[in-house]
Amino acid sequence: MTTLFEATGVRKSFSGIRALEDVSLRVEAGERVGLIGPNGAGKTTFFNCVLGMLRPDAGRVLLDGQDIGGLPVHRRARRGIGRTFQRIELFADMTVREHLLLADRIRRGEGSLLRDLFGRGGSDADERRRCDEVLELLGLGDLAADPVEALSLGQGRLVEVGRALMTEPRLLLADEPSSGLDREETDALAATLREVQGDRGFAVLLVEHDVELVASFTERTYVLDFGHLIAEGPTAEVMADKRVRQAYFGDVEVGSGS
Amino acid sequence: MVLAAGTGADVLRAVLQGTPPGAVYALVALGFVLTYKTSGVFNLAFGAQAFVSAAMYFQARVEWGWSTVPALVLAVFVLAPLIGLLMERLIFRHLRTASAVSKLVVAIGLSVALPSLFETLTGFSGVAGKTPGGLVPDGANVFYDPLGVYPFSRDELVALGVAVVAMLGLGALFRFTSLGLAMRAVVESPRMTELAGIDSDRVSSVAWMLSSFFAGMAGVLIAPRFNTLMAPDFFHLVVVAIAAAAIGRLVSLPRALLGGLGLGIFIALFRTFLPRWSVDLPWLEPFQDNLTPSMPFVVLFGVLVLWPAIRRSPAAADPLSGVDPPPLSLVSTTRSKVLTRAARVFGVCFLLLVGLTVWFRGDVVWVHLVTQATIMSLIFLSVTIITGLAGQISLCQGTFAAIGALTVFQLADRWDVSVLVAALVGAVIAAVVGALLSIPVLRLGGIWLAIATLAFAFFFDAVMLKFSWVGGGDSSLLQGHRVPRPVLGPWDFADDRRFLVLVVVVFTVVSVLVIRIREGTTGLTLRGLRGSELAAESIGVSPARARMVAFALSAAIAGLGGGLLAIHQENVNYGNNFTPTAALFWVVLVVTLSARTVEGAAQAGAAFSLFNAVILQGAGLAWITRGHLPGFFPLSPKWRFVLFGLASIQFARHPEGLVEHGKRRATVGIDTRLAARRERASSQDANGGEGP
Ligand SMILES: Nc1ncnc2c1ncn2[C@@H]1O[C@H](COP(=O)(O)OP(=O)(O)O)[C@@H](O)[C@H]1O
Ligand SMILES: [Mg+2]
Repeated sequence: MTTLFEATGVRKSFSGIRALEDVSLRVEAGERVGLIGPNGAGKTTFFNCVLGMLRPDAGRVLLDGQDIGGLPVHRRARRGIGRTFQRIELFADMTVREHLLLADRIRRGEGSLLRDLFGRGGSDADERRRCDEVLELLGLGDLAADPVEALSLGQGRLVEVGRALMTEPRLLLADEPSSGLDREETDALAATLREVQGDRGFAVLLVEHDVELVASFTERTYVLDFGHLIAEGPTAEVMADKRVRQAYFGDVEVGSGS
Repeated sequence: MVLAAGTGADVLRAVLQGTPPGAVYALVALGFVLTYKTSGVFNLAFGAQAFVSAAMYFQARVEWGWSTVPALVLAVFVLAPLIGLLMERLIFRHLRTASAVSKLVVAIGLSVALPSLFETLTGFSGVAGKTPGGLVPDGANVFYDPLGVYPFSRDELVALGVAVVAMLGLGALFRFTSLGLAMRAVVESPRMTELAGIDSDRVSSVAWMLSSFFAGMAGVLIAPRFNTLMAPDFFHLVVVAIAAAAIGRLVSLPRALLGGLGLGIFIALFRTFLPRWSVDLPWLEPFQDNLTPSMPFVVLFGVLVLWPAIRRSPAAADPLSGVDPPPLSLVSTTRSKVLTRAARVFGVCFLLLVGLTVWFRGDVVWVHLVTQATIMSLIFLSVTIITGLAGQISLCQGTFAAIGALTVFQLADRWDVSVLVAALVGAVIAAVVGALLSIPVLRLGGIWLAIATLAFAFFFDAVMLKFSWVGGGDSSLLQGHRVPRPVLGPWDFADDRRFLVLVVVVFTVVSVLVIRIREGTTGLTLRGLRGSELAAESIGVSPARARMVAFALSAAIAGLGGGLLAIHQENVNYGNNFTPTAALFWVVLVVTLSARTVEGAAQAGAAFSLFNAVILQGAGLAWITRGHLPGFFPLSPKWRFVLFGLASIQFARHPEGLVEHGKRRATVGIDTRLAARRERASSQDANGGEGP
C-alpha cells in the first residue's frame, strides 16, 4: 500500500522571510497526525502549499504517490484533500444546509447548467439524506436552515468541518479548529472530531495550538519552528522531548492548558 | 516594417509631441493614485470631477465673462478641492471598511450623479462647437520651436508648465511638511497608518482635496481638445489615469508619474509610426483611424491582461484586502417564505393591472415606453446574473447588448435573416464573446475585473465598432441602422401592442430561467464563490469555469435584450443606447434597486424608461391630481442620474439593493410581529404552558 500523502523538501519564502525550509512530512491512510509550532512557524503556509493556494519554491507534494504540485486548488480538492481554515471561511449569505449541499454537488460533479435550465437543479431526497447525516453527526441538525451569519464561531467551525466532510476527503487538513473557542467549546469540538473521524476513517493533519487537543487526538506529531521541522514521532514522545518543550512550550507545563 | 532614414528625428519629434499630454496624464495618474492609496477607493468619479471643474471654468469665462484668473481660482482652486473634501467627508470616510468592489460601485454612482447635479444646479449644458479656450489667449495657434524638431503650441507649453509646477509642489509638500510625510507614509504603506498613530482622517481629507484639485486642473487643461464640453469625454480621463497608474502597478506616486508620461509618449509614437506600417499592412488601417483616441483603453486592457504581475497579485492590488469586511446584516439573508410568495403574487397582479391598463387605455407613447421598460428589464437580468449572483461588477454589459443589436442589424440587412432568429444568434455571439473575454479577465477578479471590462467596452466603442462587419461603417453609425419588425406566421409585430406581448413573453421566459439558475447548482456555486472564493476552491469549485458560465450567460441575456431593443426601436442607435458611459448608469440603477432579484431588474427597467415620464415629467402626479401640476414641473430628466447615482452610495451598506433591503426589513418586521402574536395566543391557550 502506498503512502496516502507525502510532502518532500517543501520550501517557501515571502520576499526574504523564509516561511518553510525543507519540510518533509508523511500521512498514512486513516492516520491522525499533528503539526504544531509557535505562531508564525509556517503551519498555515504549509497547508496553503499542499492545497495549492500558494506555489512552493521547491519541493514535491504527493497524493497516492502521484505529484499533485502542478494542479490548481480545485483539482487537488477533488482528489480527496479537504480543508478548514484558521480564519474561518464560510459562504456569506448561505444557510448551513446550503454549505453542505454545494460541497456534495461539487463532489458528484453534477453542476450541469442544462439541468438547472430545465428546472432539475433542486435538491433531491438522496442529497438531503447525506446532508442530514453529516448535520446530525456534527450536532448541527437544528441549525440547518439558519444563515451562517447567525452562528457562533464554534458552530461556524463545525460547518467548515461538515462542508469539508461532504467532499468525502481522504485527508483532512484542519487549521487550528479550536482558535477563538473557549475550553468547553474546544472539548465539544474535539469530541465531535474524534467521533467523526472514527466513523469515516479519513486521515487528519491537525494544526493546533491547544496542546491537550493534540495530545489526545493525534498518534504522531511534527513540530515546526521558524520553517524548520525540529521533531517528529509518536505524540507522547514528541511532547516529552526537551528541545520541543524549550522551543515551543517554554515554561508552560504540558497539560496545564492555556 | 518601414524604418527608413530620418527615423531618429521622428522618434524625437514624437517624444516631444507626447510630453505635454503625458504630463497631464501624469497629473491625472497622481491624483488617482493618491486617493486609491489613502482610502482604497478606485475613484471612477475622477473624470466627473474633472468635468465639473472644466464646466465651471467655461461657465465663468464664457457665460459670466470673468477673466482667466478668477475663473481658474473658482473652478480649480475652490470648487475642485471642495468637491474632493465633500466626497471624502460625506461618503468615503464612512466606507473605510467596505469592500473595494462596493467602493468602486459608489464611485461609479458618483460619476453618474456629479455631472448631472452640476448641470441641473448651474443650468450648464454642453453646446457643440463652443468650448472654452485654454488658459492663454490663442493657445492653439501660436507655436514655439526651441529645438527645431517639434513646434509646441502655447497650450501645450502651458499644460506642461502647470503639470510640472503641480508635481514639484506635491514633491515639496511630501518632502518638507509633516503632513506630507504622514501622507507619504500612508501612500507607501496604508497598513502602517494604524500602527504609526497617524491621523488618517486628516491625511485622507487632504489627499482627496489634492486629488480633486489635480482632476480639476487636468480637466481645464484638457477641455480645449473637445468639440463639446460633455461629461463622457472626461470619463476617458479616468481610463487614462488608471492606465498610467496601472503601468506603475499602482504601487507608488513616482511610478504613476512615469506611467503617465510614458503613456503620452507611447501614444505619440504610435500616432507617428502606425500610418507608415499600415501602408504595407492594409488590415491595420481601421486601427490606424481609430486606435489613437482609444490608445489608453488598449494600453489599459493590455496591461491588465498581459502583465502577469497584476494578474498574479490581486491581493496586492487592493491595499485594504486584509481588512475584514463588515458583517452582513441579517436582514439580507432572512426572508420569510410565505411573505416572499405573497409579495411575488402581489407583484404579478400589479404588473397584470399595469399591462391591462396600458393595453386598453394607453396611447402609442405609453405602449412604447412600457415595451422599452420591459426590454431594459430583460437586459438588466444580465446584471442580476453577473453582479447579483456572481458578485462581479461588469461594466461592459452595454457592449454585449450592442453586439446583440448589431448582429440583428447585420444578419437582417445582409442576408435577410428573420430578426427573431437573428436576435437569438446575437445572444449566442454575445455569449461567445463573453466567454472569450472571461478567460483573460476573470482571473483578475474584484476591481480589476470591473476595470478590464470597462477598458473592453471602450475598446469596442472606439475600434471594433468602426469595422463595417461590426458596426456597419461610419455612415450607418451616424444615421443609425434600420432594423425591421418581425413577422411570425400570422402575426405581424409591426403592431406595437403585439410586439409588447412578444417582449413580455420573452422577459417572462428569461426570468424563469434566471430563477432556475439561481436556485440550481449553478446559482449555488456562484453564491459560494461570491461568499468565499478560497473556501469554494477548497471544496473543488473551479472559479474560472463557474465565472465563465456566469459571464457567458449574462452576455447572452444582454445580447438578446439588445437585439430586442433594436427591433423595438427599428434602429440600432448605438450612440443613444449602448455606449460605455450609458451602460455605467445601468449598473448604478440595478445595484441601487436590487441586483439580487428578478423584481429588482424589473424595477430598474421601469425606472430606466418610466421614471422620467411618470415622476419627473409629472404624469404620475397629474394622474392622481387629475391634471393639476405644481409650477416646477416638468423636472429636468437629469434628476434621474442624480437620484440613482447618489442612491447607489448605499450599495456598500446594502449589497442586496436599497429597495430590496427595505422590503426585506418590512417582511422581517411583519414576520416577527406575527410570530409574537401567535406566541401570545398559544400561551393564553396553554395557560402558561410552553409555546411552540
Ligand atoms: N501571504 C504572505 N505574504 C507574506 N508573508 C507571509 C504570507 N503568509 C505568511 N507569511 C509569513 O510567513 C510566516 C509563516 O506564517 P504562517 O504560515 O501563517 O504561520 P502559522 O500558521 O504557523 O502561525 C510568517 O512570518 C508570516 O508573516
Ligand atoms: Mg496559522
